[in-house]
Amino acid sequence: MIYQLSVPAAVPGVEEIRILEWHGEPGAAFESGDMIVELETHKAVVEVRAGQSGVLRAILAEAGDWREVGVRLALFSDNADEDMPAADAVSDDLVVDFEVT
Amino acid sequence: MSGEPVTRMFFREAVKRAVEEEMTRDARIFVLGQDVGAFGGSYREFDGLFARFGPERMRDTPVAEAASIGIAAGAAAAGYRPLAVITYMDFLMLGFDALINYAAKLRYKTAGALTAPMVVKTTAGAQGQGVAHSQCIEAWLMSVPGLKVVAPSTPADAYGLMKTALRSDGPVVYIDHKRLFPTPGDVPEAETLVPFGQAAIRRAGTDVSVICHGYMVRIALAAADLLEPEGISCEVIDLRTLAPMDVATLAASVERTGRLLTLEEGQITCGVGVEVATRIFDRIGVRPWARIGALPAPVSSNPVLEAACVPDADRVARAIRTLAAG
Repeated sequence: MIYQLSVPAAVPGVEEIRILEWHGEPGAAFESGDMIVELETHKAVVEVRAGQSGVLRAILAEAGDWREVGVRLALFSDNADEDMPAADAVSDDLVVDFEVT
Repeated sequence: MSGEPVTRMFFREAVKRAVEEEMTRDARIFVLGQDVGAFGGSYREFDGLFARFGPERMRDTPVAEAASIGIAAGAAAAGYRPLAVITYMDFLMLGFDALINYAAKLRYKTAGALTAPMVVKTTAGAQGQGVAHSQCIEAWLMSVPGLKVVAPSTPADAYGLMKTALRSDGPVVYIDHKRLFPTPGDVPEAETLVPFGQAAIRRAGTDVSVICHGYMVRIALAAADLLEPEGISCEVIDLRTLAPMDVATLAASVERTGRLLTLEEGQITCGVGVEVATRIFDRIGVRPWARIGALPAPVSSNPVLEAACVPDADRVARAIRTLAAG
């Protein structure tokens, strides 16, 4: 199954974030609790951690890019060999935890 | 700035860039205020400057606003170009004696022999912090001869107006707004100053001129979006500089649209809107006008009461409908 990671509404008032750092390349396997990506707001860093295991398949926004809340950042799958859907196909949201520091 | 290369950045990064460029250019500039040193500024707007310029030029002060502004005024008279930072505009009041009685009058009092080239940067606006951390008192400052008052609403203006402020010979109060900080914006990569006394038309329209500044520009634009499907076309003008005021641009807009709505987050009694309307009508004659601002009550830390007190897009849209129907 394919999952998407979107920009979470982690900080009140924030409509747009900057991608600070990815913690893995496409193909990397994640376990629940692993850090996936750090996002930057005007005053905080949002650490996004996997809430389920999976494989990072595609990164859609690089470090330094800006994305609005709700916009898709990456695609994941349960297994590394699953076929990827068309770019605009609807996916379930990846379960994540995020921490604002 | 169409076609010019830009970099997207946070408001605080635009302020930092301006201050860093100007401090590099002019060794007389130094910064003083609470947490401006190693902490990097209350809003992180001086991140990295302490490491670059050190404690001599990034000076932490105690919670002593009167002393900070007083020291800045004295240092300015002695030839420095201080940037004094007051975290909340409410506490600017503690520094009024030095700012208004001394700095704003120094050039006049000394027949031009002395000036006070200082900037006081402070932050206005309601964001859940209650009666004494939410106020917008820029209208008080506009009535002081000798004082310049600017209020950026975008990172590009935060950058360009700060640069102009740091090169200005008079005392300047530079007002940003807490609710603008989360919003990034495009800033020209080339060094760009925003001159004082030039308003910006943020949205062109034909039925009513909405004149505002700071965070209220975003509220006005949201109200204009609400009204567009109803066939009401709003021209939204951002003052950018409150003193001096770009009356020519404002009056030309109201002459075109025939109606004026003034919008501010502060109190409307003796407010920015009254001054805007009076200056425009002095020039082109009276036109239909409505004014919106905070309700005549302190801004509560209760979020329901705060939201009820300060203007929002629905309230602005209602007022514009009434004005446009008249």
